[in-house]
Amino acid sequence: MKDISTSINKVDNEEKISGQAKYVADIKPEGMLYAFTVRAKIVKGKILNIEYPLLPEGYFVVDYRDIPGQNIVKVIFNDMPVFTEKEITYLYEPIALLVGPDKNVLSKLIEGVHIVYQEEEPLFDWIDSVVHYHFDKGEGKRAFSGKKIIEFNYETSYQEQAYIEPQGFIGYMDGEKTTLIGSIQCPYYVKKAVVQALGESEDNVRIIQATVGGAFGGKEEFPSLIGCQLAVALKKIRKPIQLIYEREEDMLVTTKRHPSRVHFKAAIKDNKIHALSADVGIDGGANIGLSGVVLSRALIACTGAYTIENLDISGDVFRTNTVPNGAFRGFGAPQMFFAIEMFIEHLALELGVDPLVFKKDILVKQGDYTSTMGIFRDPVLMPEMICKAMEVSNYQEKRINYDALDSYKGIGMSWFFHGCGFTGSGEKNIIKAKVRLKKEFDKVEILIAAVDMGQGVKTSFRKLVANILDIDIEQVIFNNPDTDAVPDSGPTVASRTMMIVGGLVARATEEVKKRWAEEKFIVEKEYEQPSYIKYDEEKFKGDAYPAYSWGVNVVEVEVDKFTYQVKINKSWSFYDIGKAIDERIVIGQADGGLAQGLAYGYLEVMNHKQGQIMQKNMTDYIIPTAMDMCPMETYLYENPYAYGPYGAKGVGELSLIGGAPAVAKAIEQAIKRRVFKIPVTPEYIMELIKNG
Amino acid sequence: MVEAYLPKDLDECLKILNEKKVKIIAGGTDMLIQNRSHTGMSIGYRNDVLYINNLNELKNIYEDDAFVYIGAALSLEKIMESDIAPKLLKETILEMASPAIRHTATLAGNIGNASPAGDSLVSLYLMDAELEIRSINNTRRVFLKDFIKGVRKITLESDELITKVIIPKLMFEKAYFKKVGPRLSDAISKLSFAGAYQIYNNKITDIRIAFGAVNVTVVRDRLLEKKMIGKTIEELKGMIDLLTSWYDPLIVPIDDQRSNKVYRKEVAINLLREFIENLI
Repeated sequence: MKDISTSINKVDNEEKISGQAKYVADIKPEGMLYAFTVRAKIVKGKILNIEYPLLPEGYFVVDYRDIPGQNIVKVIFNDMPVFTEKEITYLYEPIALLVGPDKNVLSKLIEGVHIVYQEEEPLFDWIDSVVHYHFDKGEGKRAFSGKKIIEFNYETSYQEQAYIEPQGFIGYMDGEKTTLIGSIQCPYYVKKAVVQALGESEDNVRIIQATVGGAFGGKEEFPSLIGCQLAVALKKIRKPIQLIYEREEDMLVTTKRHPSRVHFKAAIKDNKIHALSADVGIDGGANIGLSGVVLSRALIACTGAYTIENLDISGDVFRTNTVPNGAFRGFGAPQMFFAIEMFIEHLALELGVDPLVFKKDILVKQGDYTSTMGIFRDPVLMPEMICKAMEVSNYQEKRINYDALDSYKGIGMSWFFHGCGFTGSGEKNIIKAKVRLKKEFDKVEILIAAVDMGQGVKTSFRKLVANILDIDIEQVIFNNPDTDAVPDSGPTVASRTMMIVGGLVARATEEVKKRWAEEKFIVEKEYEQPSYIKYDEEKFKGDAYPAYSWGVNVVEVEVDKFTYQVKINKSWSFYDIGKAIDERIVIGQADGGLAQGLAYGYLEVMNHKQGQIMQKNMTDYIIPTAMDMCPMETYLYENPYAYGPYGAKGVGELSLIGGAPAVAKAIEQAIKRRVFKIPVTPEYIMELIKNG
Repeated sequence: MVEAYLPKDLDECLKILNEKKVKIIAGGTDMLIQNRSHTGMSIGYRNDVLYINNLNELKNIYEDDAFVYIGAALSLEKIMESDIAPKLLKETILEMASPAIRHTATLAGNIGNASPAGDSLVSLYLMDAELEIRSINNTRRVFLKDFIKGVRKITLESDELITKVIIPKLMFEKAYFKKVGPRLSDAISKLSFAGAYQIYNNKITDIRIAFGAVNVTVVRDRLLEKKMIGKTIEELKGMIDLLTSWYDPLIVPIDDQRSNKVYRKEVAINLLREFIENLI
């Protein structure tokens, strides 16, 4: 049998390239109406009065009064209303939908909505802590007494997912069944949210995934909000309705990566790091939503790829009157790995130790305790990967050459990991993934809720099943998830899809294989946590993840001494992802993730001014073009995880994490200055150079 | 509802301009963005519009002894492909937007739009470009620098049309355009710079310096350039601090979502330094 990693064509290449794939905007049932969103024009305050224009026949206002169930969107932390009733907590908060058959009429009507507000002073400072976490390891705070202390601050800024296809749904009533077709990552998240907002029975809500034009985490929880809004409108109007955002609307109001601030403090003993304290703040925006979970993933990664005996770790989610932040590929890890990678490097420099020597000394080894006193159980290939990285990039020689004052060149290296799957016991306690395989004659259908959003799920899952059964991939069926057809295998997030859901599918397939002689049958499997995984979420104690993927990025840059612009000349990447189910798909994920991570580090600028996002379109929000990216050399390492299919671990998020610290360190060398925040823009580089 | 006019030839076009109040659309790459509306709705034009992109009379490029003449509806891509368009202009166009935009956008459109960040303007100012402007009863010729009055302000009467961009044929020892954008392609400039010079017997006989996106329109000061003529390269290099102090008050950029004024100013001065330092 062929090695499963050997690449095949993606099964949806043809329909996507030929334009036949159906995205939400391509689905146009007869008599479809359009929905426009009425939004607050102030940042904070109360609605005193709303006056709607006289509506022509066939036009409707849908607002909080129409919600049959609860006016709250079910996510992890439930504090976002479907439609705000009175309180405005951020600019453009949704108030109502205007629905009708003609967009020209709707855009006139929306201009005729008059709202009287009582404005209040908005809060942008990070002082209103709504989630606070703390944990210790070893001696905690006590480890600092009497020791030499070195401390620095690090900052990261917004990042926008910039998926090609904006957020959107089309919905219709099928008898009493509210049916939504959406550009989504998590069909069951939307379903549960809609069930709660409508106060409906599970049977009367159906969510179907359309072909998704990119998501990057941006379609994890946000679609639940507009899914609920549309469902409420459908209940009232009972005609097909399309709710699709325009690019600017999408960029102004949808969730983004949390800006962060990290204060690191190290206690030094014998010129080595004895203890680390971190004070981590993230800006949640106006709602908490997933922010607590993002914070917890960040905190768990506080030591980076290093083992530090004594920890004193605190973190806060701050509520501000800005657009709510949420899930984004990496989920707290990109912020933390930037900070810790820079800090460890800066620490070594402060101590007069070669950073490489300093870091190798504390690099995680198999059997080490994690930050939360879990155990790194599986082999850690990092020494081998680092060795290879230095060899193929000619790291040390370049490091020496570029140290010349006028080189304006630099090479940087980052070491990192990503915990695969949900944090802690989330898989066991919250998700409880179920998968189903349906065997009929010579065909097998995969019934799971995992979404192909471009990352290749449709191909890799069909390939997985075909490979185990040793049948043709054409004999394996995988349709876009429909909650009426598939069990809840959980959301398509957290680098869990292949490792967790794929692991279950592989186990189910083994059973199908044994019973292959039977004509028709169904196999179901439910997630069982490896018995050794125990985690206390309150205390941050135990194994936060069942497995870890690891990575090394090396990046070489050149800085223009007149314009301070950064040019990335080359990158080398090394990833231990257990086992590639399809090598080309993994490389696609790896190189795309690195591009997004590099851009997070030096290119993508997003900020708000008094609660207003300043970069509201793709002209002003700069993501890299092919010309900005460099030749990428990527190496994959096999290091099978016992419960992943063929040993596969998480892939999706890992490759985004190391880009920012690698590029920041390369820039540091090029400009002979220390970098404390990303993105490292030409404006920031100028400031650093001028201020010495 | 707006009316859209699609004249068959230039005469009809000028007649429409004479009779109707219309917005002129050449390539449309800025007009479409400025008048965008919801997906599926028609373009949100607020005025009647006149399309000139099918007028073959405006799509030619030719030269005489002194000038190159570029038709107002000729696409940037076609200018880049032309053998007679000035090299500096072609190099500037290569830095503008994306292949798709260059396929339809025009030089006259970039001029009519009069954005402070219009890249072609910088090189056109540097080359003392002129415009031919026609109305039904009149043809006039005006220097580009006198045509643009400020941010999106131009001196075009409602019955007039830019028909040609006229560029003097010039000889330079070296001439270049440098765009400082937020990324390497398909981006709006944070600022830009163009420099050119000619020497004879080791003395500067012509020197031209222009900056984009650091003031309401392109910055070029002929009096300052005059003061440099006659100097040797070494003399110019020796007075670099003085030169930058001359230009300093002319460079008054703004803060916006793309960059800030401190950066724009500093880099503008740096690019002037780079230009002078590299004189040979």
